Amino acid sequence: MTPGARRPDSRAARPDRVPPGWSYNPSAWSERWPLVVLAAAGTVIAGYLAAYQWRFVDTVWEPFFGDGAEIILNSGVSRILPVPDAALGALGYLLDAVTGALGGRARWRTLPWMVVLFGVAVGPLGAVSILLVVLQPVMFDAWCTLCLASAVISVVMIGPALDEVLASLQHLARVRASGRSVWRAFWGRDRAPAPTADAVPRSGAT
Amino acid sequence: MWPRLAAAALGVWLMAAPAVLGYGGAASTSQRIAGPIVAAIAVVAMTEATRPLRWANLVTAAWLVVAPAVVAHDGTAAAVSMAAGALVGALACVRGRRRARLGGGWRAIVRPGVDRPAGR
Repeated sequence: MTPGARRPDSRAARPDRVPPGWSYNPSAWSERWPLVVLAAAGTVIAGYLAAYQWRFVDTVWEPFFGDGAEIILNSGVSRILPVPDAALGALGYLLDAVTGALGGRARWRTLPWMVVLFGVAVGPLGAVSILLVVLQPVMFDAWCTLCLASAVISVVMIGPALDEVLASLQHLARVRASGRSVWRAFWGRDRAPAPTADAVPRSGAT
Repeated sequence: MWPRLAAAALGVWLMAAPAVLGYGGAASTSQRIAGPIVAAIAVVAMTEATRPLRWANLVTAAWLVVAPAVVAHDGTAAAVSMAAGALVGALACVRGRRRARLGGGWRAIVRPGVDRPAGR
């Protein structure tokens, strides 16, 4: 949970892999595999709930809240869209897992678009999860254990995903300040050495 | 870490409180909306890179404190709401330990190279 305190993975901690001014590498596998595992678990849970909503399975597991899960998963809100909401959730988690796994240990600068897509996938999924958690008791006076578990997973992923996005955006800002093409750097097509903070002319008084 | 854990626990308590203490209506709706928001903000703010989001819980805390004056609360519900609001607000002000250096944080995106940590 506290990345700076973790024992550094020596290969991930190579100087060209740690962002300038950072004490750790947010793209290290030790930072990323827990998120990929969480996203995979989310895919399985949401996939199971979608299977119930499509009636590939006839009943849904609900250990704590009686018929709560059935009420929630058959509610009008869950059927607003042409596909059940859990199916979209499963797709979202799958995108999280794939975009979390792809790219190397320095992908914050070698593949910024993947990092940003990862952040964009994780953020809104978490926001929608919170909304659905609010709607459960307020609109239907019921709770659904697996829906709550899925929401916890998506919220837990947000912070650890965004530190990598921060490193990528800082990298793109340095690229822009050094006069190179942000567009090329964003798509990972800038093969020149990454600008360090020292290469950037300092503006303003410090 | 612990200020965020405590705030998240308070958020979960707010979700459960109406059922545990047996009140409903507007007070229950207020807490079942505020609870998940408090918990989610606290969980995201556990990460040092997103720690500044802790300030957002000042807004939910303020709502919890004034809610009994705005929508119908019985005595128990009002006590729960105001106590949780005061605690969540106080916890949001605790920065917590910082171990990681983050290259100047989100501000550095606007002004790269300016917020370099000293000694680099």
